[in-house]
Amino acid sequence: MDSDDAVKVDAVVVGGGPGGLAAALSMARAGLETVLIERGEYAGSKNVGGLFYGTVLNSLIPNAFEQAPIERPVSRRSIAYLGPGTHMTVDFGAEAWSQPPYNNTYIVNRSQFDRWLAKQAEEAGATLLEGMVVDDLLYEGNNGTRKVAGVCLRGGEVFHADVVVLAEGANCLVTEKARKALSLRSGRHEQDYAVGVKEIIGLPRATIEERFHLEPHEGIALDFVGVPFEGLVGGGFIYTAKEAIHIGAVAKIETIVKSGRNPNDILDAFKRHPGIRSYLQGGELLEYSAHMLPEGGYHALGELTADGLMIVGDAAGLLNMSLYKEGTNHAMESGRCAGEAAAEAKAAGDFSKAGLAGYERRLQEGVVLSDLKKYTEVPDILSGAPGLFSLYPEKVTKLLVDFFTVTPEPKSVIQKRAIRTFLDDLPKWRFLKDVFRARKML
Amino acid sequence: MSDILSLSLEDKLYRTKYEPDAAHPHIRVNSDYCVKCGDKPCLFFCPAQVYKPNPNDANLVTVSHENCLECGTCRYGCPFQAIDWQNPDGGMGVKYRYG
Ligand SMILES: Cc1cc2nc3c(=O)[nH]c(=O)nc-3n(C[C@H](O)[C@H](O)[C@H](O)COP(=O)(O)OP(=O)(O)OC[C@H]3O[C@@H](n4cnc5c(N)ncnc54)[C@H](O)[C@@H]3O)c2cc1C
Ligand code: SF4
Ligand code: SF4
Repeated sequence: MDSDDAVKVDAVVVGGGPGGLAAALSMARAGLETVLIERGEYAGSKNVGGLFYGTVLNSLIPNAFEQAPIERPVSRRSIAYLGPGTHMTVDFGAEAWSQPPYNNTYIVNRSQFDRWLAKQAEEAGATLLEGMVVDDLLYEGNNGTRKVAGVCLRGGEVFHADVVVLAEGANCLVTEKARKALSLRSGRHEQDYAVGVKEIIGLPRATIEERFHLEPHEGIALDFVGVPFEGLVGGGFIYTAKEAIHIGAVAKIETIVKSGRNPNDILDAFKRHPGIRSYLQGGELLEYSAHMLPEGGYHALGELTADGLMIVGDAAGLLNMSLYKEGTNHAMESGRCAGEAAAEAKAAGDFSKAGLAGYERRLQEGVVLSDLKKYTEVPDILSGAPGLFSLYPEKVTKLLVDFFTVTPEPKSVIQKRAIRTFLDDLPKWRFLKDVFRARKML
Repeated sequence: MSDILSLSLEDKLYRTKYEPDAAHPHIRVNSDYCVKCGDKPCLFFCPAQVYKPNPNDANLVTVSHENCLECGTCRYGCPFQAIDWQNPDGGMGVKYRYG
């Protein structure tokens, strides 16, 4: 396998998303000779997202939010239920969210944002090799003493490295192979995936600000559940960019297969709902995209290190699927933890699993695993209490609509009927149980 | 001109940029399994409808790999794991401008 002219560096990162880029940036800053390999023509060209929590970014690059290509900060949020011809929204915000650092919550075009972050990693000293695919890892030794020694590129070239950071995102072919080859322990549950589809819809700036009641420097993130997502564990979102709207739908693949619905049709049903369509009127489609998300949460986490290897971001399953849907920030935090661990390993001259133990220790001590642990039950609640996102909000919406439906009858009659309809056929015991479980979503 | 609410999937895919690689399909289906597959979920779970009924044989599917959005769903959704999906060559395939 070894060719004489093979290149040897300290670290190779596979994948130029937020996870890999944060790892490369941290390692390069710590003085490690770092190469990042990205299969897209440029970092970002394969990546999908929207809402970006910037705590890690702002700590890696002070005041990054002032230079990064941010479309709009999120000054307001909402959570809405879309019923059969009805809808109900909770809309909230705070004045401080319109002031720097804008609650660390921003709307970004991931393709542009990742490309910018790649430039920061390059400036820190990392070498970016774009348009190249890693097909496998390079190993040394066998079975019991097998260790990772580099990567194999498509076309047969190899790169030797003391440590490899796998940051392939959710669709992680090399990571899956490596887990098998190294017999890495898997999680308590198998990883569970959802698929997200989204559209970027161009609209004039002023139209967006008028439709969503925004000042020029403000933005809004809207989350939706309800009828368009019937039969699915899933929901929809709208984020306002500068001159475009991001609209998307995310649902568990297993429930898509069961329901027989096509992801694009689900997105269309969402777009056409009476509570949604007026936002989109007159818009022009700029892009349609799709990607998977790992939704298994804490119980699906497996072993994340081996001799000469660390796995970060979505490839490690570190996305938080609670109401926060935090993928990018967790990817960046895990990338940073891996980068710092690699620097320790380099100083100690020990890239074995024990030498890289700083990675999982940092994850344990930091926000990523503490949040994933806190939301351990979310994946089960989402699948086990589907009423939370359909039946109950629908009943509350109907209660409100009935309450405020104006007829010639006296108000007392209208109100009594509304409340009776609400209480009838409400499965009370299950309702209490579900509400009790639901508090764990927050 | 098509209204934003009534775009067909073809209209949508047309707006997304690709670096097409017609000569190197990155998806291969082992049709031995398709013959046994009743529901054929690939016909609906793929966001780009890469898989379509084979007009010559109802038991089989055709693959338009050039439309693939590289989401990964087919690697989990096919009940027989009959789909061999590989990363396209470097720089090829879908190329998001917004993402
Ligand atoms: C529709 C949708 C909406 C989302 N919305 C949000 C949101 O609002 N907020 C949020 O925080 N998260 C969101 N996410 C999740 C978020 O996108 C991910 O959690 C995040 O991108 C993970 O970062 P990563 O670096 O681990 O992987 P990715 O960003 O997926 O990056 C992986 C990179 O590795 C490259 N790569 C993969 N394999 C190879 C290989 N073998 N060789 C070379 N290169 C390779 C890929 O091309 C890619 O550039 C959303 C996801 C989807 C699909
Ligand atoms: S789902 Fe899999 S096995 Fe079934 S028809 Fe499609 S590719 Fe073939
Ligand atoms: S990766 Fe996604 S878009 Fe491509 S064929 Fe599979 S399901 Fe379809």
